[in-house]
Amino acid sequence: MLLLATPLVGLASVGCKLEPKVPEQRHELNASAIEANEDLAGDAQAQANLAGALDMLFGSPKEPSMMQTAEWVEDEYDPNGGGSMELSDVEWDALVADNEVHFASQLAAIREERFDDVAKPLYSDDLWASWEAHLALLEPDEQSGEAGMKPGDLMDPDDEESPSWLEDAEYIWTSHYPTLAETAEMYRTQCFHCHGVSGGGNGSTAEYLDPRPRDYRKGIFKFIAIDEKGRPRRQDLARVLREGIYTTSMPSFARFSEARIQGLVDYVRLLSRRGETEILLANDFEAGSTDVDTALSIDKAKETYLFVHDRWPTDDSKVIVYDGVVPTPTAESIERGKALFIGGEGKGANCASCHGVKGLGDGPSAMEVRDEAVGEEYVFDDWGNTIRPRNLTKGIFRFGDRPIDLYRRVYAGINGTPMPAHIGMQIELEDGSKREINESDIWDIVHYVLHLGAVEIEPDVTETLDAFRHDQAHEHGEEHGHGHGDHEGDGHDADHGSGEHTDNDGDDH
Amino acid sequence: MNWLKHTFERLFYAALFLAVPILGVWTWVIADDYGWWFPEYASTYADEIDNLFYIIMWMVAITFVGTEVLLVWTMLVYTGKQDTPATYTHGNHAVELIWTAIPAGLLVFIAFSQMAAWNEVKMQMPEGAATPEHPYTIDEPMMEVWASQFDWRAYYPNEAGEFTGPGVVSTPYDIYVPVDTRVVFRLRSRDVLHSFFVPVFRLKQDAVPGMSIPVWFEATKVGSYDLICAELCGWGHYKMAGRVHVLSREDYAAWLKDAREKLQDNGSSDLVAVAEDDE
Repeated sequence: MLLLATPLVGLASVGCKLEPKVPEQRHELNASAIEANEDLAGDAQAQANLAGALDMLFGSPKEPSMMQTAEWVEDEYDPNGGGSMELSDVEWDALVADNEVHFASQLAAIREERFDDVAKPLYSDDLWASWEAHLALLEPDEQSGEAGMKPGDLMDPDDEESPSWLEDAEYIWTSHYPTLAETAEMYRTQCFHCHGVSGGGNGSTAEYLDPRPRDYRKGIFKFIAIDEKGRPRRQDLARVLREGIYTTSMPSFARFSEARIQGLVDYVRLLSRRGETEILLANDFEAGSTDVDTALSIDKAKETYLFVHDRWPTDDSKVIVYDGVVPTPTAESIERGKALFIGGEGKGANCASCHGVKGLGDGPSAMEVRDEAVGEEYVFDDWGNTIRPRNLTKGIFRFGDRPIDLYRRVYAGINGTPMPAHIGMQIELEDGSKREINESDIWDIVHYVLHLGAVEIEPDVTETLDAFRHDQAHEHGEEHGHGHGDHEGDGHDADHGSGEHTDNDGDDH
Repeated sequence: MNWLKHTFERLFYAALFLAVPILGVWTWVIADDYGWWFPEYASTYADEIDNLFYIIMWMVAITFVGTEVLLVWTMLVYTGKQDTPATYTHGNHAVELIWTAIPAGLLVFIAFSQMAAWNEVKMQMPEGAATPEHPYTIDEPMMEVWASQFDWRAYYPNEAGEFTGPGVVSTPYDIYVPVDTRVVFRLRSRDVLHSFFVPVFRLKQDAVPGMSIPVWFEATKVGSYDLICAELCGWGHYKMAGRVHVLSREDYAAWLKDAREKLQDNGSSDLVAVAEDDE
């Protein structure tokens, strides 16, 4: 018996030291982009060249690094600096303040000179390396036998202005901004299982999710605050990370520090730029070509890389800001918004064609494609996933539910989806005169949409089963088409209201 | 030689089994020093919940140590008598009565001793109209907390007291409450079962889809505390966290006022924050 116990103890002690072996991740090629180009699909060598070019430009998942060009070196621009270079002073101060909260135990230990109690946080190999290097300054030099520094010593004994060792030690922690490699490690634990190793939205859990996780590789992001269907600002991506995308599988990551979130923004942007570059290179490739535009050359790769890089906004000149005081909803503005909402093409904003006259997300255009076999009707987004227009009666809006957030959705539309921009849309009034949808019209629509989210809807159209909901909507859509006013007086009833919120993952924008 | 081996085995196994209660008690003694014990408490009824825990813990501890000592004693005494054959019994009424009556009595004791706490925490819900001492009731709750896969979100009513429509403040992840105030809120779920668990408040309440469950607590300390989901709710359960920020009453009022004003933001707050003199 005793003999049996010995190997068990031995095994247990070895087992404690073993870490699960994680195979090193490699970037994968975008299968759909390659299949789209016959020349590339049949050419294994060209595919390998493409992968090599992308590795050269963006590094590997373990060591991500965007290529530094000679011009950038001259301009002192570092593409890998991310937020540490791009954040404003105010944003940086907030980041430092947040680091002080998140590293409170480490900073307290440093201030009390209990250096052994400084614990290594997650995803911080590089931070830890600089901390250990700093700590090593206290050790005596083995070769020369010179005594180490004291915590109170100045870093540069000849310069009275220089910080002390302790001040510098604190600074290492408070000014921590994760490197791309640290963030990639975090991405591997927190994001990869949905968004995939190369940001293709094809991680192992992705297939179980509805809506599907974002595929970054197209460079299209739905949730942006700017007046064009362009690339997001870093502030937009950071907001999505902080708040999550409500009622989807994207949760809030606010429990991580601001520095971590900004680091993730950098990494998502790297993956997105990588994906865009890949698609452009794959599209342009022609077998056996020597032309600079179609051959897969280093010059071509670099040119595409720079083109993609410059597509991402660096300022917020395009952010939609309403010039004036946000109007408050009135009965009249809601009524005007309703007219625009229901008004068909050319007559109004045409919202009802997708969102339905009652805002249930069941308008005729929402069901352009009918799959007879499955008996379902749907439209697709730019990623090829089926989506449904938002059911506006639930009062749940993604990327913010402030009036200005809804205003931006209506104003500029939603990237990657059939939701169009409405500002400047031509409409013909009842008296035959023509005009464009203006900002005040959009506020009216916003007020009507907020109103739709606030009124109770009869339980018979809020069933959880989508198919049932569609049938019900078809049957009752016409007869109750103008029935919103009837329910205004209901007020809020907790038990009654719960039914309308039980199905929320069904709609996609 | 055989005798020596036998004695060694007896002592070894007795010591091995004796190590269980010793290690158990030792872990309990040092737990507080290593931060393995309860977190601080920050609600009015947390103390009472802890006391219930201690009552049960002492019962279990005494029973555990007692049975372990009995076990070791038996091992030492009876394995020593190698030549005595074991005796067989067919039950003993008196002993059976005792070991049924004592646990039954303990269970009844536990049932009664927790009634006051259960009544206070789960049943004494402030109903009717709000008063200055108790500004929130079931009918006029301070907020609605919605659980969904995998987010917590608090909704604060607009100035008319409604939870839908314009003027409703919603906060993802962060929940703000005033200190020293009986906070009453409705807990709801959008999809599956979740559980609202704030360890420092000793408050745990399931959120059930289709139900609007009234919950109350009164925070006693200003600070930020973890909120976690305590009911396995899907693959992302481990990500479902939040923070409860207990503010002073003045700060809470100022926060709510500010949050309502921010609803009227024209979008300029989404511009990159820069110092005023840089503009």
